[in-house]
Amino acid sequence: MTGEDCVDRLRSVSVPALGLALFLIVVLVSALGVRAGQSSAPVTDVDPHVAAGSKNAPIVMEVFSDFQCPACKTLYMTTNREVMDNYVSTGKVYLIHRDFPLPMHAHSQVAAQYSRAAAQVGKFEVVEQALFQNQEKWEQTGDVDGTVAAVLSPAEMNKVRALVKGGTLNALIQKDLALGRLYNVNQTPTTVFHSKGQTFPYSGVMNYEILRNFLDQLGK
Amino acid sequence: MMQSSPLNFRRAIIWIGRLVLGGIFIYAGYSKAFLPNHILWPLFFLKFSLSTNLANFALQVEAFKMLPPWGVQFVAHTLPFTEIILGILVLIGWRLRIWASFLTLIMLGFFVVVLRAYLLHMDINCGCFATPEPIGPRKILEDAALSALALLTTYFAFVEARKPHPWSAPQPT
Repeated sequence: MTGEDCVDRLRSVSVPALGLALFLIVVLVSALGVRAGQSSAPVTDVDPHVAAGSKNAPIVMEVFSDFQCPACKTLYMTTNREVMDNYVSTGKVYLIHRDFPLPMHAHSQVAAQYSRAAAQVGKFEVVEQALFQNQEKWEQTGDVDGTVAAVLSPAEMNKVRALVKGGTLNALIQKDLALGRLYNVNQTPTTVFHSKGQTFPYSGVMNYEILRNFLDQLGK
Repeated sequence: MMQSSPLNFRRAIIWIGRLVLGGIFIYAGYSKAFLPNHILWPLFFLKFSLSTNLANFALQVEAFKMLPPWGVQFVAHTLPFTEIILGILVLIGWRLRIWASFLTLIMLGFFVVVLRAYLLHMDINCGCFATPEPIGPRKILEDAALSALALLTTYFAFVEARKPHPWSAPQPT
């Protein structure tokens, strides 16, 4: 084999190898870049009225939800109920509700205000359940007030109405929206899992069996 | 003097296909297995857990509502590594026709699955890479383009393989 042959042979072999090496370098550098640009934002600004479970639980689940979103209802009625029974009540998960009312839903902002007001009087869980269970009714009529009134006492309802009229609850909702944007939330429901300094976002409704496997891995 | 085959349109497509598809498959598998979370560098290596990442990917697979739980777990635990291995094999070009055919089948499978989710108005992320990407027309077009490139690459790889190699001895006339 002559010198030219060797160069030709070398060229034909080295081009794919060089391509592969360049690609791996790009992947590695981009991976490091992505890591450097992201931060595991600590779970802050938690309103204890809209959270369930122990603050010291090894896993924190933040659920960005819209009361008028059908998928949020499904998540609430199915998977999250099982999470509440099996993980929140046993101290393994701290479940936080985050308001993320979407502009496409006409009444979700109002529903979020009522739920926040109910949280201030210690009735968040009852109102959350009522809003999700009767979603199809109040999204047609816009009667959020009536839906909430059906599950609260008149005295509690008066407090809730006063809080909603006060207009101070929008700031809390805006805080949740801002946090959602920080996590790049672009749809509801989006669940953000935190454990051991790691953050895992997930958009959509989760199957409980698959979620259970994930939570068990996270908790290890 | 021995020399490489002259670069023609088919060979150019094969090269582009190998680089693009191989690269994307390696990155897709790598990101699923190693990058699904947001963590603060340099704690990455201290906090890294492959089993947690794969369990996280299982959530993405399940979102398509096409498989039973055992199927979801199987796909979640094998697909990222299949993508990495297939991507490397296509990139280096060893037994290209075989591996490009496999890659094309998988790519077409991705396209069908994503198109199905879009047509069913499923509000989910595609789970293609580490970052959440909602399924929309852009994602459909991306997958269609990659599927077309995979098909062309495989077809041209078969066509080129029929030609005599430039290093081989000339055929007796």
